[in-house]
Parts: sequence; structure tokens; C-alpha cells
Amino acid sequence: MAKKLKGEYFYLTANDLKTGSVVYYSKNNWSSDLTNAVKISRDNLAIYEQIAQNHEKECLIVSPFFVELDEGGEIRKMRDKIREKGITFKLNN
Amino acid sequence: MYKYTEQDKKIVKNRTKEFKFQVERRINGDLTEEEFKPLRLMNGLYLQLHAYMLRVAIPYGELSDIQLNKLAEIADKYDKGYGHFTTRQNIQFNWPKLLDVPDILSELAEVEMHAIQTSGNCIRNVSCDHLAGINSEEVEDPRPWCEIIRKWSTFHPEFSFLPRKFKIAVTGSEKDRAAIKVHDIGLKIVKKLGTIGFEVFVGGGQGRSPYVAKKINDFLEKKDLLNYLEAILSVYNELGRRDNIYKARIKILVNELGQEKIKELVDEKFEELSDKSLELNQNEINNIFNFFKLPIEKKTNSKVPIHSDKEYNHWLQQNVINHKIRGHSIVVISLKPPGKPPGDATSSQMRELSKISKDFSYGEIRVTHEQNLILPHILNSNLYELWSRLKKLGLSTPNFGLITDTICCPGLDYCALATARSIPISQKISNHFKEYSVQEKIGDLKIKISGCINACGHHHVGNIGILGLDKNGEESYQITLGGSATEKASIGQIVGPSFSTENLIPAIERILKTYEENKKKNEDFLSAFNRLGIDKFKEDLYK
Ligand code: SF4
Repeated sequence: MAKKLKGEYFYLTANDLKTGSVVYYSKNNWSSDLTNAVKISRDNLAIYEQIAQNHEKECLIVSPFFVELDEGGEIRKMRDKIREKGITFKLNN
Repeated sequence: MYKYTEQDKKIVKNRTKEFKFQVERRINGDLTEEEFKPLRLMNGLYLQLHAYMLRVAIPYGELSDIQLNKLAEIADKYDKGYGHFTTRQNIQFNWPKLLDVPDILSELAEVEMHAIQTSGNCIRNVSCDHLAGINSEEVEDPRPWCEIIRKWSTFHPEFSFLPRKFKIAVTGSEKDRAAIKVHDIGLKIVKKLGTIGFEVFVGGGQGRSPYVAKKINDFLEKKDLLNYLEAILSVYNELGRRDNIYKARIKILVNELGQEKIKELVDEKFEELSDKSLELNQNEINNIFNFFKLPIEKKTNSKVPIHSDKEYNHWLQQNVINHKIRGHSIVVISLKPPGKPPGDATSSQMRELSKISKDFSYGEIRVTHEQNLILPHILNSNLYELWSRLKKLGLSTPNFGLITDTICCPGLDYCALATARSIPISQKISNHFKEYSVQEKIGDLKIKISGCINACGHHHVGNIGILGLDKNGEESYQITLGGSATEKASIGQIVGPSFSTENLIPAIERILKTYEENKKKNEDFLSAFNRLGIDKFKEDLYK
């Protein structure tokens, strides 16, 4: 999970198993709100990887991964930005 | 339209029950995601960028009003009030909850629908000419053959775990509207010396290695269709590569072995199946054909209403096609209004369209692989009233076959595999070229957009193809020219370095200018491109 990551800080994210919603790890629980997401330093990746694995086993989440942050603490990749903010156009309805 | 037999009903009901149980086991922790993933994929359920996505099968693109109404209900009850029609003539719901999927499947089963064969390494939903059975140049209606193939392929024990997914398309006309030459198997119904049979093409496809299919049989007798398909699939199942996902499609095998060798292997296998257990008898064929009788038989002198409304006249000119039975028309409902995501329909649009199809088209509606809808049987005298109702729904855009009638994959807005967004590009194009007079002047032109090299948006076969790339974190778009998915199928050629989002529309404008300046009278874009060659376009575009 932590292989080939760029940068020094990360968020841990996944999808909620039952609903599929995007969630971020924020101190002992998972939230769809990024505001309280734990900012994880490179040194602590292994700890959070273990947390993700445990929560996968407990059937709370699916597909966990780390979101890379840039020097300013913002999400680095466009894919992850869209995943956080939602689709970039107005829906038809 | 095809109606489920008791056996079909049982199969779908059992599958729904089975999946409900699998979901329960997943949620209880009895199944890991690794174990569950192939099971959910067998039921059309993906996990995308934001959420789960459920792809529902619409066999050969044919829907009843009741089914469309059910899709509208599902969109409201379990999703965000809309659905997305795909290039395999299916529909996708982008936001269902895993917990709800068993209920969705059981509601679908009530109206003879399911999500089987919409994903996984099996024979996928067979696709078909959207004008099947209703155009006058057709040799024979391909829909019954799609149904015969569906029956044979659903849960085929040997072909449920193929090296990769497998796509079949069937057309009954010389003019190919089903893109058969970019399918794993393409079937074309032909008549030779008074007998009807099939030309068989194999190994077409898009993705990172695009190929046009090769013909391996000039004339296959109808009775032998399933044995022959079985022979092709058996050869592929045995020799197709399972060690490398990028080389696993039959197109790679066909290209490596060559046309002659693959033909020889298939013929040998076909001989081996000499017990001909799958040989079709005329009774079976007739039984299936009976389901597809047209609801109208009599010609009429029904006339197209005359009105001065400009928009109505544009729509008549662009989106209305002659039906093979006099006095009737085929109406294309464009799902590409300016600025809207191609292929999307809201629940209220679907609900109203369900009523409209009941009122005007014998309750039949079709999905095209170009992400539009078709009302197949409209009495000419109803056209104005129909147009007025479609207009109220925002579904009367007169752009069928024109520059804003783009095919577009979901791209980075939805898809976890994407390298760039594609829907916003399509929106830019449809806004920029929205004037009918502008589009009409450009003429027939197919733009197809994919958000990554997997080419779900068919960019390789766009007259202008657009492929979204990720260039050091920035979206960038590569343009290909000269692709076509018709009977003269060709893979587009890369014109040169890619363009930023901002420079893409100017680049398209420049390409169109080259066309405009050099075209002969009445020459469409593709013909002009084929005559002028890529260098002319390249020179103008990058000077
Ligand atoms: S082409 Fe790529 S981005 Fe588009 S839907 Fe297919 S996999 Fe996703």
C-alpha cells in the first residue's frame, strides 16, 4: 500500500464497504469529511497500514490507500482531488 | 420483443437470490474482498472512483416501456436520479449502495432484467445494429441471432472464465452501425445464392492495441452458428494468454497467429465438434424469430406534419429516419444536448420516455452503441406531437451523426482507471459547436473521447478521436484522425503531440479548417481525410 509514494504527508482513504462512499481516516473512525482526516507522516505509514488492514478485516472499509499531499498540505493528484470533491460538472438533473 | 421463458425467469431469480446471499456473507466477513470481487463482477457491480457502480444489461439494446420505467424508479430509489447509457447498449447506475444491490436486482428481475454478462471475463452482452428489423436495406433482422447467442452464452460453463472479456456484435446490413469490426467476433448476415448465412470476423478491438477484425469465414450456414462460435471460443480459451492482462484479448492471438492460421485452427475445432450438438434446427430458429415480429405490418400513407418551426424542421432532417414500412419513421433521441454529459438520462426523462414509447412506439425503445435512444416505430402523422413532447424534456437536440453527437466514456470524473477527464471535454465541444447551422455545415463527423487508453469511449475509431492523458499531473489530450467503426473500419492515426484542455477546441477548429478549405463538393470529413492524408492535417495543425 505504501510503496512508491511521493511526498512526506498523506491521508488514509478507502470506500465504506456497505455504501461505497469515499471515506478518510480521522482518529479512530472513518469520515466522509476530509476536515478531520489524520495527516500521516511517512514514518507512521506502517502503523496506519495496519489500521487499514484491521478495518478491512472488520468489514468496515474496502480498497484503502494513501493519498499523497504536496508541500502545502494539499492533495497532490487530480484523481484524488476529484475523488474528494466529487464530479467536476453539474449533473443533468 | 423477446419475452422470458419460465427457464429464463428461474435463472434470473436464482442468480438474484444467490447474490443476496453473497452480499450478506461479504458484509458478515465470511468472504474477503478478494473472494467477493469476482462474484460482484459477475453481477455487474464495480467499485469506481467515488462509489459502487452497477451496470445493468440491456440485451442488444432493446427495452420495453415497462423496463425503462423500472430503470427510472431504480434511479430515484437507489441512486441519484439518473442513469448513464453505455457503448455496449447497457445502462450504468453510478451511486448504488452495496446493501441495496440485491434489492435492485430483484426489482430488475420483476421486469425481466438483470446485470449478468455486463462485466467479468465472460461473453458480454451481445450488441446489435440499433436499426435492426426496421431498415429496408437489411438482409435479415439480427436481433433473433443476438438472442440465440445470448441463450447459448449465458452461464456457459466453459466460457465463464475466459482469458479476458469477450464481445460479440451482429449486424444484418451492409452498412455497419454495430461496429462489428472492432469486436472480438463480428457477425454480418449476408445472402449468397439465395441463402442467408454469416460472414464471420474475429480479433477486432480497441484498448491499448487496437485492431480491425479479420474475416475468417465468407459464409457460415445459419444452423452452424453456435458450433462455429463454440469453435472460436474454444481456440481462444485454449491459446489466449492468461499470463499478461494486456495480451489476453483474442485480438492479440489473432494478430500473432495471423488470419490463415486462426482460420485453420477454428475450422479444425469446428470439425471436431462434429457431433454438432449445438446445430440449430429451423423450428428453434423460427421460435426465436417469432418474438421479434414487428408490431406494425401495414403500410400507410401517413404524412409527416408540416410546421414552420425551425427547430422542428432541423430535428426532422437530422434525427428522423425512414422506417422500412411506409408511413412510419424511426426517431433518434439524442442524449447529447449542449453541455450535458453524453449518454445520461434523468429519472424524469426516462419515466416520460417510457410513456412516450407507449403512446407512440408500441412500448419499444432502443439504446444505440453511440449512447442515444431510438423510438423505432413512429407513425409519421405523430411526429410533430412527439417532437413537442421530447422538446419539453430537453430531448429534441437535432445533432444525430454531427460533431456534437460525441461518444464519451465516464473518464476521470467517475472511473478509477482514468488518466484524464472526458465528459468536460465533450461538454466543451457540445457548447462550442451548439448552433445547428454550424454543425450542419461541418456535416457527418464522429468525435469519440476516452479518458484512458482502455478506449471505452472508442477514440480509436472516431473520425476525430480524443484520448485523455496525464502529463506530469496535467490533463492533456492526444488527437487521432481518420478512425471509423463502420463497414470500412479503420484505426485513427495519431496526429502529433497532445494538447492542453485550453488548446483542444482551437486544435479541433484548425482540423476543421483544413477540412473546410480542402474538401470537394459534398465530401464528408472522413473521405476528405482519407484523400488528403494525415500529413496535410499535421502540417496545418502544428505550423
Ligand atoms: S476508457 Fe479508461 S477512463 Fe474511460 S471508462 Fe474506460 S477505463 Fe475508464
